[in-house]
Amino acid sequence: MKHPARWAALGVAVVVGSLAVVLASQVSTNPQAAEQQSRLVGQTVPTFTVHTFDGQTLSSRSLAGKAVLVNFWNSWCIPCQQELPSLKMFAAEHAGDPSVVLLGILRDDTVGAARPYAQAEGISWPLADDPSAALSLDFGTRGQPETYAISPGGLVVGSEYGPASVKNLDTLLAAAQSHP
Amino acid sequence: MTRRRVLVWGGLAVLVVGTLAWAAWPSSGATTPASRASELATELRCPDCEALSVADSDSTSAEAIRADLLRRTKAGESDAEIRQVYIDRYGESILLKPTSNGLGLIVWVLPVVALALAAVGLALAFAKWRRQPRLEATDADEALVQRARAG
Amino acid sequence: MKASLGILGVALGASSAGLGICVLARGLWKHEDRWLIVGRRFVFGVLGAAIVAVAAMEWALLTHDFSLQYVAENNARGTPLLFTITGLWANLEGSILLWVLVLGGFLAFTAHKFRHRATDPLVAWANIVGLAVALFFFALMLGPANPFRTLSSPPLDGSGPNALLQDHPLMAFHPPLLYLGLVGFTIPFAFAVAALITGRFGEGWLADTRKATLIAWGCLTIGIILGAWWSYEVLGWGGFWAWDPVENAALLPWLTATAFLHSVIVQERRGMLRVWNLSLILSTFCLTILATFLTRSGVLNSVHSFTVSDIGPWLLVFLGVVAAASIGLIFWRGDRLRSPGKIDTPVSRESAFLVNNLLFAGLAFVVLLGTVFPLLAEALQGKQLSVGEPYFNRMTTPIALLLLFMMAIAPALPWRAATADVLRRRLLLPAYAGGATMLIALALGTRGITTVLAFGLGAFALGGIVRQFAVGARARRRAEGEGWPTATRHMIGANPRLYGGLVVHVGIVCIAVALASFSAFTVRREVSLARGGSATVSGYTITYLGNKTTSSAQKRSVSVELQIHHGGSDLGVYAPAISTFPGTSDGIGTPSVRTGLLRDVYLTLVSSPNQKGRITIGVDINAMVVWLWIGGFVIALGTLLALSPRVRRRVRPEPAPLADTPTPEPPPTREPEVVGV
Repeated sequence: MKHPARWAALGVAVVVGSLAVVLASQVSTNPQAAEQQSRLVGQTVPTFTVHTFDGQTLSSRSLAGKAVLVNFWNSWCIPCQQELPSLKMFAAEHAGDPSVVLLGILRDDTVGAARPYAQAEGISWPLADDPSAALSLDFGTRGQPETYAISPGGLVVGSEYGPASVKNLDTLLAAAQSHP
Repeated sequence: MTRRRVLVWGGLAVLVVGTLAWAAWPSSGATTPASRASELATELRCPDCEALSVADSDSTSAEAIRADLLRRTKAGESDAEIRQVYIDRYGESILLKPTSNGLGLIVWVLPVVALALAAVGLALAFAKWRRQPRLEATDADEALVQRARAG
Repeated sequence: MKASLGILGVALGASSAGLGICVLARGLWKHEDRWLIVGRRFVFGVLGAAIVAVAAMEWALLTHDFSLQYVAENNARGTPLLFTITGLWANLEGSILLWVLVLGGFLAFTAHKFRHRATDPLVAWANIVGLAVALFFFALMLGPANPFRTLSSPPLDGSGPNALLQDHPLMAFHPPLLYLGLVGFTIPFAFAVAALITGRFGEGWLADTRKATLIAWGCLTIGIILGAWWSYEVLGWGGFWAWDPVENAALLPWLTATAFLHSVIVQERRGMLRVWNLSLILSTFCLTILATFLTRSGVLNSVHSFTVSDIGPWLLVFLGVVAAASIGLIFWRGDRLRSPGKIDTPVSRESAFLVNNLLFAGLAFVVLLGTVFPLLAEALQGKQLSVGEPYFNRMTTPIALLLLFMMAIAPALPWRAATADVLRRRLLLPAYAGGATMLIALALGTRGITTVLAFGLGAFALGGIVRQFAVGARARRRAEGEGWPTATRHMIGANPRLYGGLVVHVGIVCIAVALASFSAFTVRREVSLARGGSATVSGYTITYLGNKTTSSAQKRSVSVELQIHHGGSDLGVYAPAISTFPGTSDGIGTPSVRTGLLRDVYLTLVSSPNQKGRITIGVDINAMVVWLWIGGFVIALGTLLALSPRVRRRVRPEPAPLADTPTPEPPPTREPEVVGV
């Protein structure tokens, strides 16, 4: 203890050094990376009933037996707009397959804004409103776009946060179809 | 004189302790589902936001969570149950204050320990200084002070 | 053209800084004063180069030259003039330009101040450190954060600044003040490093950098408060401080700098606490770099930000170098840093400063830990955790109350040792004022021990300050036969540092009381209204009169007109709005605030008229928020006062005895009475 300042400096150096290591390890990782997987994966899909823009009623029960991709989106959200081409391509690929359903749910948007946008963009898959955000809450969505894959047996088997590519969507579908 | 001193300081002590006791007296009535829901809303992070709580945010998801919290408290679910529902759904990052078990303990205990240690260190230093006799300055000390002042 | 001019400026700045370092280093190495005198001049080169680069950017912004990527991304033809000018700090690259300009200014100011001491190795070393910091930021602009990147095919119109940044004139003042604050700490840092390198730890360098430190501290304080004000007026969530990592990052250096401003007085008076003061100033600078790193690297950003800038690693390396150098220097000089002297009793001014420093350091530790904890948790367990308002409120409130208590008693404590008699004379009345305030607050229906304590301690502190002013002015009045105003003016003029510090304390009391009231008395409601309908919240009746849609090139807004009545009197019509900006379709709410001395009526438009014409509005009745801004103004005033030169008057042969004769003291080192800031 001849020079307390030296000991103090050493202690601080150790603390600062470890903090620097932590910061350095985090600087390269994407803050979103760890959030990619939804907590819902592996669980039964929450029960829901939605009314699509064209008056259809879809529910978790009526969709049982099909592989379903539920896509939460908004017309105003730019990442959703970036995702749109992939969704269109995916929808076109599976247009003739009744066992595959792509369902778009408005996360934080009005039908008044989304319907004209969908028409202008020529969106072919069913779109539904989620008044009071109940469904979005049940799924535990954290933003938009976010896509969930549901197996024919009603199990959530995968999720994708942020704009998905066609490949992502195909992977999700494959996961849904490979489950009973 | 001494009696007056006791009177003025004692009066102050009574005033302060009395008002603090009054202030700390539990006055509010039993908790209602609505008050519990709004309390919980301050503890949960709005999933769409960076640092805002569900209580502070106007986003649709925050609104939906507020409604859900009210529904759950009215249904008689306990605070711990409701927190668990949200942890299961969004992960622990939905809580704005970390739980006091596991890793979260660090953030609660470390500052308290550090401040307590520093306070003890300060007290020890004072005790040491008190024991030290008041030294007469030697020539070497004077020289040191001169050097120090000269910068 | 503008891009080339800008790049030229940046390159010139970098080479000036680099050359300056080399010349000064050679001068120091060879002990040749000639080189030191020449080397100093490069500082002005840095300032000139920064001015050229900033001017080039402003020129490009004002002429809407979208061939520059930065201008295309942060400006549009429809952007109003004010926000075109402030576009300079609307984004990362421009902010760094502003950063080097401010740094150049501070360095030149210091170099000019020390023009007669240019050959002093301490000053030369300080210049080298300052230039090295400047070199780093110029290098950032030559590397990953080049503000003068050009586009091969410029767009016809730019995308405009971020919607949130073009909504309020406060945006023009908040960032520059914050930078003045953060960057200003480079000067004391440079001198602290120079003192360590030259081994001259006398009190000289402290006194020399006091002005720069105080300017930086004042600007940082005002910058933080303006940020809170902007958040309150623009963001529309009803609060002003969310314990967001970006806010915490600015608060951290403020806390250590405030601790430094206090403990430095002990060093000036008693020659003690040298290691501690050096560490505080070194860590303040490290924390300013950490602040820049945390806000700019994206490590702590939310899941919402899809853009990540790549200067993170650069800043981290710089931070590592600065921290390693600081710690290494303290270690190297550890043997020489022992300070003479001791503190005699726990009840004295110097020990009050020690406790104050302990509390500020504790506060900084809590904020730092809470801010970086999510990163720690992820690194250690791969777990996502959040640390937010409930944690920070719980942990900081007790420390803040203790600090308030120290602020109340410390200025009344004499140096060395206090006697019971002095304590009674100086503290009893203010303490009773505090107790009475608590009683009155309780009688008026205030509940919650924190709120009541905050009011009581605030009154205690205020009482002490008022007493100190009154006693000082009275003594002067008696001695000189002056009137009250003249006596007060002369008293302040004779010791601006003490009284400036006390005025700053008054500002802090305002802020503490405002914070306590806000958290205790705020009422929030959300109501849905049809046209002509009204709702009453806490006695305020809000009536929905009608709505209006306005469009301009800059934005499209829907505003609703709301009339406020309170107790039969008409408080006027207020119009909260939701605006959409081209390029983003997410609506930005603009609150409308009826400011009052006791209560603000804070109106937000939650949803614009629906098909049936009903609107939803948020009505917050916020208590005493305006005192935050008043407190900020008072702090600014106090800082200016503390900066003002001391008026030396003819010394009378026999100084009149003060009412409060302090206990006998050793001859002071610099100034007779050195307290407060």
